[in-house]
Amino acid sequence: MARLMTNLYDVSKCTACRGCLVACKDSNQLPAVMEPFKGNYATHEDTNGNTYTLIRFIEHEDPVDGVRWNFLKYQCMHCLDAECMKVCPKKAYRKTEWGATIHDEDKCIGCQYCTYACPFGIPKYRTRTDTVTKCTLCYERVEEGLKPACVRTCPSGALTFGYRDELLQQAEARVKFLRANGFPRATIYGKLELGSGTNKIYVLTDTPDKFNLPVDPKVSANTWVWQDWIKPYAGWLIPVALGASAVSFVTNRLINKGDDHAKGGHE
Amino acid sequence: MRWIPEYQPDVERVERFNSVARITHWGHTVTFLLCLFTGLILFLGGVDWLAAIFGGYRGAGLVHRIAAVGMTLMLVFGMLFGFKGYIAWVKDIFRFGMNDVKFISIFPLDFFGLEMKFPPQTRFNGGEKMNSVVLMTMVSLLVLSGYIMWFPSIFPAGLVRFSYPVHDLAMIFSTLMVCMHGFLGSFHLGSGESFWGMWKGTVRADWAKHHHAIWYEETYGDKAKAEAE
Ligand code: HEM
Ligand code: SF4
Repeated sequence: MARLMTNLYDVSKCTACRGCLVACKDSNQLPAVMEPFKGNYATHEDTNGNTYTLIRFIEHEDPVDGVRWNFLKYQCMHCLDAECMKVCPKKAYRKTEWGATIHDEDKCIGCQYCTYACPFGIPKYRTRTDTVTKCTLCYERVEEGLKPACVRTCPSGALTFGYRDELLQQAEARVKFLRANGFPRATIYGKLELGSGTNKIYVLTDTPDKFNLPVDPKVSANTWVWQDWIKPYAGWLIPVALGASAVSFVTNRLINKGDDHAKGGHE
Repeated sequence: MRWIPEYQPDVERVERFNSVARITHWGHTVTFLLCLFTGLILFLGGVDWLAAIFGGYRGAGLVHRIAAVGMTLMLVFGMLFGFKGYIAWVKDIFRFGMNDVKFISIFPLDFFGLEMKFPPQTRFNGGEKMNSVVLMTMVSLLVLSGYIMWFPSIFPAGLVRFSYPVHDLAMIFSTLMVCMHGFLGSFHLGSGESFWGMWKGTVRADWAKHHHAIWYEETYGDKAKAEAE
């Protein structure tokens, strides 16, 4: 496998200018989506078919620190062991060698299995195309040697693109620094989450729950039972039933050669 | 080799299924099979040639939904025009007793062609009762989980995730039953007239006496006749 390439997002440097959101829309030619005013600074509650990335604004009260206001750039995490890929009945997802999870809209039938399997609920249905869509990690740009649009545009240096192993070291150092400088709970997110980690690295100034991120993201047990047990094993009951009927069809006629049930019926 | 027994219009026949029962039965058969084959495309992980029969994946999805609505309409139709029949059916299922247990336990031998001596049965024998219960439950689950999968955004996410394994398991158990049921209701020699009961509505009286003695007595026997008069 080629060396993984990814995005590092450092919350502590983000000013929530939303330049990444606009650059993403521009680069992917996505129309604006107006959402009603919800009483805070967030323009979008969640990803949607025409919004691959957004900035979350999360307010929470801390008994010690008072009110905290957290920003978070939110988008597909490009999980290294991607559940969307597993549930998709059309195999519309693939992983690039360098770790991006990309979705082929031409194959997609819009069943939305992936929306509900994703531990982050990222892929979203888009009526216009009757498919789901999500962040592509700008794989076309990256494969041309460019940076993803969001990274290119970020004015504050909160987003960096590069090799995952290097970025992890960078993130580690940054977390150490933050912990020593007023953010004792600073942490890395995406290194080991979901077992093998994600191909997006976050540096958070507080615990993940303070950013509305799942502390221990998981694939639902329902999804697991469905994909790992029912699909591969339970279906065999059907050929067994067909086989038994076929055997019965033959043995019936061998054993009952002379007897005609049409006359006396049969007990 | 004989496939199914010949239909004999000139012997004494008794009614087994009225027209509402027969319409809903075959309506469910067609819509079920359409749902099944279009659904299997996805269940088996994207079967291109099967999808092609329905005009590709989009077409298959559409057929699945049209058949699903058809199936739902069949349920509504049956409830509206055959409500009494449904009640009678359920009541008969609940008459599950020793005779049914005996029936089910020796049936596997009959299934492969041996002639067995069965205790007298009500309108539906032990096996049919089992088939009825499984199919009623599984089809209800298929319909409920199916609509949740169709319109996931209006249901809680946890319920949507739960619906996928339910839809597939219900598909597997119902299809298992449908395979057996389809065979037993047609080419299985021991079932004799069964097929004509659902196709034409009537069965030979002597067959009814043999296979469903209790039902025959209660409906067409001397006592029933006396009561009717
Ligand atoms: C009211 C009845 C039903 C409704 C509303 C319904 C709806 C759905 C929907 C929305 C899907 C998702 C696939 C897609 O987007 O094309 C689906 C999948 C499926 N359905 Fe149904 N369905 C119904 C009945 C049935 C029946 C009767 C069967 C089979 C006997 C069946 C078997 C399947 C199977 C095997 C799948 C694929 C699941 C997978 O990917 O593992 N469905 N159904
Ligand atoms: S919505 Fe599209 S990408 Fe998602 S699981 Fe269904 S076919 Fe696959």
